[in-house]
Amino acid sequence: MSAVSDRNDEHDELRKVVRAFLEHASPSSEVRRLAETDEGYDPEVWRRLADELGLVGLIVPERFGGAGAGAAELAVVMAEMGRTLLCAPYLSSAVLAPAALLESGDETACAEFLPDIADGSVIATLAVAEGNSDIRDLDAVWTTARADGDRHLLFGTKERVTDGYAAGLLLTVARTEKGLSLFAVDPEAVERRPLPALDPTRKLARVHFDRTPARLIGAEGAAEGAVARVLDLGAVALAAEQAGGAERCLELSVEYAKTREQFGRPIGAFQAIKHKCAELLYEVESAKAAAQDAARLWSAAAAASEQGLAASVARAYCSETYVHAAAETIQIHGGIGYTWEHDAHLYLRRAKSSALLLGSTSWHLERVAADIGLVPTA
Amino acid sequence: MASATVQDAGTSPARQAHWSVRLAEFLDAHAGRPPRDKTARLAWARAFHADLEEAHLAAPGWPAEAGGMGLDLGDQIAYHQQMTAARAPRHPCGLSFIVAPTLIRHGTPEQKERYLRPLLRADEFWCQGFSEPGAGSDLTSLTTRAERVGDAYVVNGQKLWTTMAHLADWMFALIRTGPAGPGGAGISYLLISMKSEGITVRPLKDISGGTHFSEVYFDDVRVPVGNLVGEEGGGWAIARTSLGHERATAFLSDEFRYRRVVSELHRLAKTSGAADDPVVRQDLARIEASVRVLASNSRRALDAVLEGRDPGPAASVNRLVRAEFDQRLHEVALRVVGPDAVLGQREPTAPEGGRWTYGYLMSRSSTIGAGTAEIQRNTIAEKVLGLPSWRKEA
Repeated sequence: MSAVSDRNDEHDELRKVVRAFLEHASPSSEVRRLAETDEGYDPEVWRRLADELGLVGLIVPERFGGAGAGAAELAVVMAEMGRTLLCAPYLSSAVLAPAALLESGDETACAEFLPDIADGSVIATLAVAEGNSDIRDLDAVWTTARADGDRHLLFGTKERVTDGYAAGLLLTVARTEKGLSLFAVDPEAVERRPLPALDPTRKLARVHFDRTPARLIGAEGAAEGAVARVLDLGAVALAAEQAGGAERCLELSVEYAKTREQFGRPIGAFQAIKHKCAELLYEVESAKAAAQDAARLWSAAAAASEQGLAASVARAYCSETYVHAAAETIQIHGGIGYTWEHDAHLYLRRAKSSALLLGSTSWHLERVAADIGLVPTA
Repeated sequence: MASATVQDAGTSPARQAHWSVRLAEFLDAHAGRPPRDKTARLAWARAFHADLEEAHLAAPGWPAEAGGMGLDLGDQIAYHQQMTAARAPRHPCGLSFIVAPTLIRHGTPEQKERYLRPLLRADEFWCQGFSEPGAGSDLTSLTTRAERVGDAYVVNGQKLWTTMAHLADWMFALIRTGPAGPGGAGISYLLISMKSEGITVRPLKDISGGTHFSEVYFDDVRVPVGNLVGEEGGGWAIARTSLGHERATAFLSDEFRYRRVVSELHRLAKTSGAADDPVVRQDLARIEASVRVLASNSRRALDAVLEGRDPGPAASVNRLVRAEFDQRLHEVALRVVGPDAVLGQREPTAPEGGRWTYGYLMSRSSTIGAGTAEIQRNTIAEKVLGLPSWRKEA
């Protein structure tokens, strides 16, 4: 009993600290200011997240300068960031990139890159998706790597790279004769362009490689399984962020329903509104439970197959919940919810965009089906 | 899943060995497939639960003085897992476990002595007399009334949707003994023998064509005053008594059942080729995701209870989640079954004996019985989210 209690107490404490920090550091006015920029984050807030809170190196092992925490703590932090729509390269630089380096098993690269990532001085990201293909469809990766002495040259274009414009270190996957391989690229050596996006609070970029020098990370041809694992961990983290955002949408809706009056009564007294809120409560609570459970499995080093399945269950559920919660938030707010000045559309943008990033709901459901043995017989 | 929870709970191994070893022996000795015949199957389940009570292995969550095992929550979970894994028959009268907590908490020593043991043994069945023709969701407007005459209450009126009334020996009923007022004033909680003179039970056919519930008429039915539970006029407040933990573990046994049913549906989909249809496959994956999310939800609530924390909103939304899941599950199931899902249960070639079509019809009641989904949403919105009351009085 005590182990569970201690863990929960620690998580409560972590949640409080992060919430207090973000309420101050990421108010709506800041989210809106940063949404207008190409880099999409505030360097001072990023520095404090790294130095004061130690959150940027959260999942980086201590020997590489991080906090050595697990997915359970990561989920707590992501949920809080989701609540405030924090504009920062956290998913890219604190989750995907360090996870890719760690999964590669390349100790030299880890020792070289991770300390700078963990202390926030270098922003890193992972570029995978190409064309209009789902990021989880690794067969759709056409970018090629050609050996050139002790380095490689990359040819190809990566799409929808999170924080690809702000990044100081670009990790990417490309095909060699031996298969998919992980590479590190200096972003100064590539052509990259910030993309106007549905969700301006999470920055996306197009990255073009043309004879771009790259360094092989880990074994050549060994990236396929590793990248899938990284994207699964990303799915767990993103599910937690989505659950946090959905929770905040429900709070906004309930607050409004209690104060907005029509026909001489708060609109929350009407069952049409009440039932929407009750519906959202059960979806939000279920989403939180699913995200926490997936994170717990990752922290507990459960079997890889169980972890992947839990990640997809959480992602499928949290994606739908967040989009529903954000859409209902607009509906419950009525006209004001449809305006630019109200934050409801920022949540809807984040919700919809998140549902499409890191694997669509269809992809995750298909994975669930496959994992329980429901595969086409043909 | 619960093995981790049980470990986390720090269950004392010595104590667990004690009852779980006895339970394992009991289950071994009672192993066997249920009889196919309905009447024989009921008798079989009754005998099982009588033996279980005899062996002091019934009611894991009840206090020992009430005839239960007094197990803590961690052990109760392990108990239910053991029972489910052995495919032990469920208690044939689930409604008994709605009246039992009320008796344990509010009953007189005589009432506990008289009713609890036969209830556990399934020697006596109970039905619930709450709903009336004019009092459904608005239950406090009920009008079946009792007048005190000497040492008895004389009851007149009608109850409706009374599940198992035609099989029950007793009814726990909410009866008007005083003028209506706020907070369910004037309602008393009475225990009424179904063999009393003046009671007429008229079974009603339900959606499935079966008779699971009835109308019950009361015509000058005499109920001894000793059958009043709690104070006269105090029935409304005690009608919702539960033992807290009982509720948590009841969810668990539901969950084990859903897990099994979903796996059975997967098996059917694999053999029937329905999984080849990508749309059905996505729907099945969604059902799988839902059953896993249900488990996550319960785990979160249980972890909280095990640590002595408030289980929070998760526990209060559980019922609603389950009700809607039950319906979605059966909607998908009929698509998995395919065109032959149109066949009725009496048609011998109906796939899997027509169980999915039957379940589909039955699942419509899960958002109506024991409080409609709409009333539950009102309650959640008001009690958990703090939205103002929908009643005009505000």
